[in-house]
Formats: sequence, C-alpha cells, structure tokens
Amino acid sequence: MTREEAGRLLHAYVDGELDAAKSLELEAHLAGNPAARAACERLREMSAAIRSRADYHAAPASLAARLRASVPAAPEGAPRRVAWRGWLKPAAAFAAAALLAWGTAILSLRPGEDERIVQEALASHVRATLGNRLFDVASSDQHTVKPWLSARLAFSPPVADFSTHGFELLGGRQDYVGGQSVAVLVYRRRQHVIDVFIRPAREKKPQQTLTRDGFNIESFARGGMGFWLVSDLNRHELDDFARLLAAAP
Amino acid sequence: MNEALSERKQRFEERVLPHLDAAFNLARWLTRNDHDAEDVVQEAVLRAYRFFDGLRGEARPWLLAIVRNSCLSWLQVNRPVELAGFDDRAAEPIEENSPETLALRQCDRRMLNEALAALSAQFREALILRELEDLSYKDIARITDVPLGTVMSRLARGRRLLAESLQAISNASQVHR
Repeated sequence: MTREEAGRLLHAYVDGELDAAKSLELEAHLAGNPAARAACERLREMSAAIRSRADYHAAPASLAARLRASVPAAPEGAPRRVAWRGWLKPAAAFAAAALLAWGTAILSLRPGEDERIVQEALASHVRATLGNRLFDVASSDQHTVKPWLSARLAFSPPVADFSTHGFELLGGRQDYVGGQSVAVLVYRRRQHVIDVFIRPAREKKPQQTLTRDGFNIESFARGGMGFWLVSDLNRHELDDFARLLAAAP
Repeated sequence: MNEALSERKQRFEERVLPHLDAAFNLARWLTRNDHDAEDVVQEAVLRAYRFFDGLRGEARPWLLAIVRNSCLSWLQVNRPVELAGFDDRAAEPIEENSPETLALRQCDRRMLNEALAALSAQFREALILRELEDLSYKDIARITDVPLGTVMSRLARGRRLLAESLQAISNASQVHR
C-alpha cells in the first residue's frame, strides 16, 4: 500500500468503514510506519474529543409536547390524503386533463407578464392538488401561517381566516410564479380548494375574472400586493371571496 | 372520528418522535440557535408526518434527511451567506496530514464547541452526523444527498479544519495568559 492510499483510507479506517481486506492491508502498512500510526492515533483522539466534549442538544420537552398537539389526528382542520381520497380522484383526473390542455396551449401563444403569472399560478394550483401537496405549513391559524411565510419571503403577505364566511384557511405554501417567490394561501370552500397567490405589485389593478381549462381565476391588487385566486369553485362564490379579501383590513 | 387517521398519528409518534433529540441536535448545530432550531424542527416534523407513508426502513436517517433539508431551506432564506460553497459536491482528494495532538489535548468543552460551530455548514453537518449521531457513511451520504466519496472527503477536511481552528484558539489563549 502506498503512503497516499494509506492516507486516503485512514479516516474510513478510524470510522470503522473499511472492509476487512482493506483494513488488514492498512494495518500492515501502519505496523511498519510509525508516522502513519501516530496520524491514526491523532484521528482517534479527535473523534473521541468531539464525542465526549461537544454539546449534544436534546430537544426541549416543550417541543415534543407542542408537536404531539400539532400533528393532526382528525381530518378536521388539516385534511390528509385519507380523508380527501374520495373526492380528490375525480378532481385529480380533471386537473390532469387541464394540465395537458395547458401544456399544449402554452406552445401557441407568447404570454405577456400578466398572462404568464396566470398560467404559472394555474399550473402551481394543478400541481399542488394533483400531488396532494397543498401546503407546506398546515394551520387554520393566521398567526402561524403569516410568520411562516414571512420568514421565507422578502415580503410579508396579509393572511386572514374567513371561516365565518365559509372560507376556511387550511395553510400556506411558498411557490415560484412569474420569476419570483410568491406566498400561496390555501383556503377551502366545501370541497373546493382555493389557492390565493400573493406577491408585491407596483400598480393598482382593477378586479379581473378569467376562466382557464375549467378553473376560475380572479385577480386584483391592493395595498402594494397583487392577488391571484385560482379554484374550481364557481365564479360567483370565487368573486365573493375576492371581494372579501380585497376588503380585509 | 376517523380511526385510520388517529392510528396513523399513533404509529408516527411511536416511530418518529423517539428521534426528536437527534432532529433537534442536528438543527441546533446547523442553525446555531435554540429558537430557530425549534421552528425548523417543528416544521420538519409536520412535513415528515405528511410523507410518513413513504417511510421505508429506519426512521432516524429518514427524519434527519427531512430536518436537514428544512435547515438548508431556512438558511437559504435567512442566512444565505452561511451556505456559500455548499453546492460543491465534488469529492476532493483527502489530505494526508492529520490533526495536531497538542491543541486537542488542551482544548476544553467551550473551545471545542466554538471551533465546531465555526466550521462551514457542510463540514459541520458531516461531523455532527458522524460523531454525535454515530451514523454510517452510507446514512450520512443519504441524509446529505452526496456520494460516499464526498462524505469521506468532507469528514477528512472537516477534521483538519477543526484541528487548525483549535490550534488557533489554543495559541490565542496562550498569548492572553
């Protein structure tokens, strides 16, 4: 065994990661080489020093308690795959068809900025419902969702619960739309998921309504933020929700 | 009440929550702050619950991979500077020079913790997973999403950098004595 090879294998040897044959070879090399033996000894000392003297940070008891409380046991409040399976299947099949249609449509037109955002928001909505990954933070509490999003974005999106109006906040996620990070708030109206995409917007924009591939899309801007609502919810109710959001404090 | 769900939650608590200390230790060493580590672990565990059905094999490396990814995303947003050079996945040649003994024998708990915390994140995480969690190279490779050769070179480089930094701390304290 060459000196180079021995040096290369020394860490794996000390870590007990060398196979038997290589270990024997290395040990033979060490036996006839005091400098290598000393190097090996120093590595063992270093490993022992970290194991015995570096801090091991055990989880605080309060964290375990908080986690037990926040991992959802019941479908209410934080729907999971099991609970949603029943209605998600037709929705997913529909979304798959929509995604295909969207995929072919994008080839035939050169979208402007607005159009691009609408398309990417729609794609994000379809991906999330198809992949069953609706949110990164599951919570019906706006005071949980808002800091979670603010910590990940360069802006702080307005977050409010409208469950008294029949639009229940499920959680939020972060996505990338129109070339920048956006906040996505996820609401539910009966069995319909509504994604609300929020990002900073410079100009004021009147409320707009669009229909794409069977999905309804509402957009408006207020307070320096642009909003895009995407859902398979009927147009009338989505419009109501857009007005609620626009009027929120 | 949905029985399938509460049973799922129970299985999750039995298999995953025993590894909460390992999860917190890794997050604490990567974020270097109790409060941030709690936030990241909480988010990672909720994420783990969503992916729980995909768990095959051992729960600890599986959970640590999720925690580690959550830490990286958190650092990317909050302290991107700390991840400079992190994407460098290539296995470097392993240096032969091993650490000096002197500084190692003299270093106390505080000096060692300081030196470890000062390492760049990719070396710090490799050393924490290896020495404090006693994980195999294979598990570390899976958790940190790099080839085995990179795990080996990061451990070797990390140990040398740690020794250098201990030597520097020890020299400085000699001067002040």
